[in-house]
Amino acid sequence: MKVLAIETATAASSIALAEDNLVVATAGRVDRRGHVGFLVPALDFCFAQAGWTPSDIELVAVDVGPGLFSGIRAGLATAQAVAGAVGAPIVPVLSLDAVALRAATGHRRIWAVVDVRRREVAVGPYRPVPGGVVRDGATELCSPAAFRASLEGDAADVLVVGDWRALPEGTLLGLHAIKTGRPRYPVAEAIAEIARSRAERGEVPHPDEVRPRYMREPDVTINWGDFRSEGPWA
Amino acid sequence: MKRAPLILGFETSCDETGVAVVRGSTVLSNVLATQVDEHARFGGVVPEVAARAHVEAIRSLSHRALRDAGVHSMDLDAVAATRGPGLAGALMVGFSYGKALAWALDIPFIGVDHMEGHLFAPRFENPEYGPPAVVLLASGGHSEIVHLRRWGDYEVLGATIDDAAGEAFDKLARFLGLGFPGGPAIDREAETGDPAAVAFPRALADRPLDLSFSGLKTAVTTYVRSHHEAGDLPPMADLAAAIQEAIVDVLVTKTMNAVAATGVPAVGGGGGVLANRRLRQRLAEECAGAGVALHLPSAELCTDNGAMIAAAAAFRLGRGEVTSPDAEVDSSMRLGA
Repeated sequence: MKVLAIETATAASSIALAEDNLVVATAGRVDRRGHVGFLVPALDFCFAQAGWTPSDIELVAVDVGPGLFSGIRAGLATAQAVAGAVGAPIVPVLSLDAVALRAATGHRRIWAVVDVRRREVAVGPYRPVPGGVVRDGATELCSPAAFRASLEGDAADVLVVGDWRALPEGTLLGLHAIKTGRPRYPVAEAIAEIARSRAERGEVPHPDEVRPRYMREPDVTINWGDFRSEGPWA
Repeated sequence: MKRAPLILGFETSCDETGVAVVRGSTVLSNVLATQVDEHARFGGVVPEVAARAHVEAIRSLSHRALRDAGVHSMDLDAVAATRGPGLAGALMVGFSYGKALAWALDIPFIGVDHMEGHLFAPRFENPEYGPPAVVLLASGGHSEIVHLRRWGDYEVLGATIDDAAGEAFDKLARFLGLGFPGGPAIDREAETGDPAAVAFPRALADRPLDLSFSGLKTAVTTYVRSHHEAGDLPPMADLAAAIQEAIVDVLVTKTMNAVAATGVPAVGGGGGVLANRRLRQRLAEECAGAGVALHLPSAELCTDNGAMIAAAAAFRLGRGEVTSPDAEVDSSMRLGA
């Protein structure tokens, strides 16, 4: 199965082309803002490297977050457009799942961290199993202090992976049985791997059901509350 | 003669997801998902809400535009999307979708200036429209008077120095409790009102081509507060009509000043405010009096839409101008710059 995977949910954007278990081309760039400009040149590069044409694509995999809102939307819009044009199904993948999949541990409980700004992180616990990881609790958005509390309440030996560098200094200080490790960001190769196994299990949603996973309500602060208060009927 | 290119156009700069299929001056389909209800409860367009709604709508809307036009994506000659100006997060959705679709179909992609799109909109329904002309562009996000010298050659003769005209409508409608969006709300309320009931000020009389609406906002709020306290506030219809008249009067006067200054034989218009019935009526009267032609799009092509983006893209494509694959959106893009 030929898979196109798109990853733009964090500061590290990447594209991967994979055929079954084999990654045949990748392109990546670390840039918090340049998702829109990265995508199509990266597609061009990877397809040229692999010798594929768009009509070769049998599955489109895309990171739908949590992460950077604009990046998630740029990646999803790109995935929807390509999948629609070539008639391929589209499988969404959580950024946290992709981070946890690449954690190098055989026995520690894994906590994956993705930066979502506004002094919050998205976190989720995972358990290593042969050939991968399984989710081992709820994914949530929380403050660094709340994340620390979750770790303190976790009796297991823990490996924290993902963007733990985004946490304020000292957040993890003094916690016993906690190690930090790589990867820092989700990568498209992991997105491809997760999506392919889901597709093989028949877990392919309708394209309209593939939506961003923001995990946060939109900020609706409008700059004219001061103006309304002038009204005699306010 | 070579057949005009078949273009799919996306518009996602603000709160309308617009997708259209256009060939030459023919609109084959023009579909829109408006977010008015989602923003109405906040009293204005919320950027993050807009971006979220675009990404939810764009896939199915794109398919519907092709279906309504009776064409297959393989038939397309190019894909276009608004590059700016507008809300960055909202622009990124249509721009990313359009660029990726063009890549998958191996056809050119054209990122379009939203304001140039509005300049092209009158062409669909007014075959005689074209340069040289003065074009009034007014919406919730912009208000400017443009000298259309030739296609691709535009001079902004004047612009608002503070609020956009549509923003003035929105804010004053909200102040009066008339709802969002303010333009249509005031237009409706003003129907039975007397535009001469209150003489609100017309700003910037000394700058013939520039616009300003924040003084009007202050004048209205001051007037309403003092007369509300005194208990002699005119009926709402009169207030709405007087506010509308003040905004319309400024837009029409400055547009006709631009006509006099340039000597052009025609006036065009675009943007949501140009759907205002009183503005259309006054422009028709003034243009007839001055002996110049008036070319306004119908209301649905005045407001944001994908068809105007496709039309501007056809012009750019004809000049061999396509957009680089690494292009980003440009939320502060300026016409003629």
